[in-house]
Amino acid sequence: MSDPSILIATTDLVKRYGENIAVNHVSFEVHAGEVFGFLGPNGAGKTTTIKIIVGLLQPSSGKVMVAGYDVQSQPLQAKATSGYVPDTPNLYAKLTGRELLHFVGDLYDLKRDQVQHRIDELLRTFDLSAAANDTIDSYSHGMQQKISLAAALMHDPKVLVLDEPTVGLDPKSARLIKDILRQMADRGAAVFLSTHILEIAERMCDRIGIINKGELIAVGTMEELRSLGKAGGASLEDIFLSLTGGAEVAEIAEILK
Amino acid sequence: MNPAALPAGRFLPSVWKLLLLRLRISLNSFRHARTRAKIGIIILTVLVLAFAAGIFTVSWLLLGFLRSPQLLRFTGVNPAPFLEAVPVLIFTVLFLGILLSSFGVLLQALYLSGDMDFLLTSPVPIRAVFITKLMQAVLPNFGLIALFGLPVLYGLGITGGYNFLYYPLVVLIMILLALTAAGISALFVMLVARLFPPRRVAELLGFVGATLSLLCSQFGSLTRLYRPGRDISGNQVDALFNGLTKLNTPWLPLNWAGQGLVELGQGHWLSGVLLVGVTVGLCGTIFWFTLVTAEHWYYTGWASMQVVARRKRSAARSSMPRSSGLGTLFKKILPAPVRGILSKDFLVLRRDLRNLSQLVTPIIFGIIYSLVYLQAGSRSFSDFTGSNMSGMPAWLIGSFSSLLAYGNVGLALLVGWTLLSRLAGMSFSAEGKNYWLLKASPVRSSHLLIAKFLVGYLPALALGLFFLVGLSILQHTPIVGFLYSLLVVMMCLAGLDGIMLAFGVAGANFTWEDPRRMNAGLRGCLGSLVAVAAGPIMFGLFVGPLLIAAALNFPSFYGYLTGALLGGVVSAFCTFFPPWIMRGRVAHLSDV
Repeated sequence: MSDPSILIATTDLVKRYGENIAVNHVSFEVHAGEVFGFLGPNGAGKTTTIKIIVGLLQPSSGKVMVAGYDVQSQPLQAKATSGYVPDTPNLYAKLTGRELLHFVGDLYDLKRDQVQHRIDELLRTFDLSAAANDTIDSYSHGMQQKISLAAALMHDPKVLVLDEPTVGLDPKSARLIKDILRQMADRGAAVFLSTHILEIAERMCDRIGIINKGELIAVGTMEELRSLGKAGGASLEDIFLSLTGGAEVAEIAEILK
Repeated sequence: MNPAALPAGRFLPSVWKLLLLRLRISLNSFRHARTRAKIGIIILTVLVLAFAAGIFTVSWLLLGFLRSPQLLRFTGVNPAPFLEAVPVLIFTVLFLGILLSSFGVLLQALYLSGDMDFLLTSPVPIRAVFITKLMQAVLPNFGLIALFGLPVLYGLGITGGYNFLYYPLVVLIMILLALTAAGISALFVMLVARLFPPRRVAELLGFVGATLSLLCSQFGSLTRLYRPGRDISGNQVDALFNGLTKLNTPWLPLNWAGQGLVELGQGHWLSGVLLVGVTVGLCGTIFWFTLVTAEHWYYTGWASMQVVARRKRSAARSSMPRSSGLGTLFKKILPAPVRGILSKDFLVLRRDLRNLSQLVTPIIFGIIYSLVYLQAGSRSFSDFTGSNMSGMPAWLIGSFSSLLAYGNVGLALLVGWTLLSRLAGMSFSAEGKNYWLLKASPVRSSHLLIAKFLVGYLPALALGLFFLVGLSILQHTPIVGFLYSLLVVMMCLAGLDGIMLAFGVAGANFTWEDPRRMNAGLRGCLGSLVAVAAGPIMFGLFVGPLLIAAALNFPSFYGYLTGALLGGVVSAFCTFFPPWIMRGRVAHLSDV
């Protein structure tokens, strides 16, 4: 990868589970300073693609580069530059929020004094200071989501990958997360997020990729997607439904009204 | 939803529907189980039925024998009062057994199963949901107690020639007592859940249950140790009979059911009907009261609102690792990710009581077998051979004495092995669904293996050394022998850790919900078995040359040197080689 501004690049990514193809020759790039939205119906292959990008899953074929490092052959370097927030925040239930962040600091080999400072900063930002010394099993879903994002931000990653980051969050927390992601992108990081909430994608993302049945069927800015959808003033929802074959569902919903 | 406002006609069909749902879930679990599990369940069912038939036959014969006039003529002891106390005893056991055992099941069913909200928001009477939950809690233990109790009670009726009313009433009374006990238990569960988080209570229950069952299983060893060869005397049996007969007093309401049934069976209608009637009325009232109160507490939210504020840890106490001497040493020699994983694992192990219930096993084993070992150590060689030693060759006596001297090492290894089975064998599985965090982090496979090795090794070594040092002090072991024992324990435990860690990687399972059900599969079991075989080999290589040197009258120095070389090489091989061949696999763990 020659262009240093490209922080995520997938080339012909394929993931097969026996006969089923979860991800089928997916190629795209995400640049520094960009928030990239990844959309698709349930079971389209979003989470599988994300897991391959962050090194949780081995692809059947194809290549993923993160911050210039090949995730397959240079996994440690690639992981050191990226942060990941999963859709379900499975975290060590018996650690406190503060202990979890300390642990993540150790995993990323951060300096002790830097860790302490960063933990306090993140806990304050996410409004978790009061619950910092409670074990995570006492946290609500939203608090777990926030501590999960705080853990992903501990090492100030160049690439941030989030799977459904706003699910289960109250409006205040959702807004906070959106602001943080925007700030990260403005500071030169690449933010890659999957979401079902099309409004968030439309408002937040600089570019959007739509995946359906494992294939990337469209990538581009809102304007580019509108031109693909052949409708000048179409919303992202219209474009999404027309591309993923869900338009008939919208018609049924209209009839039911 | 007000239960009283519901049409009565919908209540019983709803209970029936919910019970059918439970039955369907059980049948589906059976249908989708593996073939070997299905065969196991069928065999178990047949065995249980055969067992019940066996109990019935034995109790019938025994009760017939106890009632025989010949026995009374020969012994002069009249067993009739004792036999009449048998129903009282069985009903008491049933009531107390259900009261205690349904606590955990009800805690699970009412607070942790996650289906309460679903059931309560569906158009089903709340009372039907609660009755089904109570029945669900009662059924397994009721079945178990009935399996033992019912054949005895029916045997008692047949041998005593009780009239026909006795038999259906026995079942009715058992069901009523079980439901009453479950109702009281449900209220108790709600009271506790108001004070403490239900999940924490479940963890505590698991810990106490596991510890008690282990202690009970080892109780026989302890009693044999301190009271060897003592059989139960006739006087003790007589005292037991008398004690049970005295307990059969009408002042205890729990006895009324049993006494009433015996009276009815013997045709004493007035007292029988009165006692059974009072029991049925009392049980019905208590059950109704507990049911209505439980519904009320649950529906108003009273039972979910905790009144005891959780103690907040001070920031200073909890802000992770404080530097101790050992901590500073670790900081110098271990990379940060290894230290981080070590700290995290020790914190999680310590805080989750469900883990502690597994970890307490080696400590109990260690204490019991130390006592056994010390008791054995106080006896002389002739105690073991059972003869005088004049005919024994001197080399055999020397070798055996040397072997006995290293019994403390064997014990330290046994304790360490037990702990390693859990800590090293399941070190990767223990990560469970949290493993993504380690996998998405820039942690080398080698660092992960080192951390997991130490997570097993450090506690196993500490516990092993604790027993070794304690026993060495008590036995006045010479310093050279002690130092050699120290080396043997350190090396052998490292070897065992390496083997079990490697098999733990091979059989890693990240899909469990409850730590007590995390197993490393067949490969993990194989790891423990290989370690069982490797442990004695390593121990033998360390200690064998000493025995040979003693037998051949060689200076012990040669024995120590040869043992250290042979045992050291093999245990070092076991420490490093198995994890080394698994390092590639670690990188792909949890890949699907």
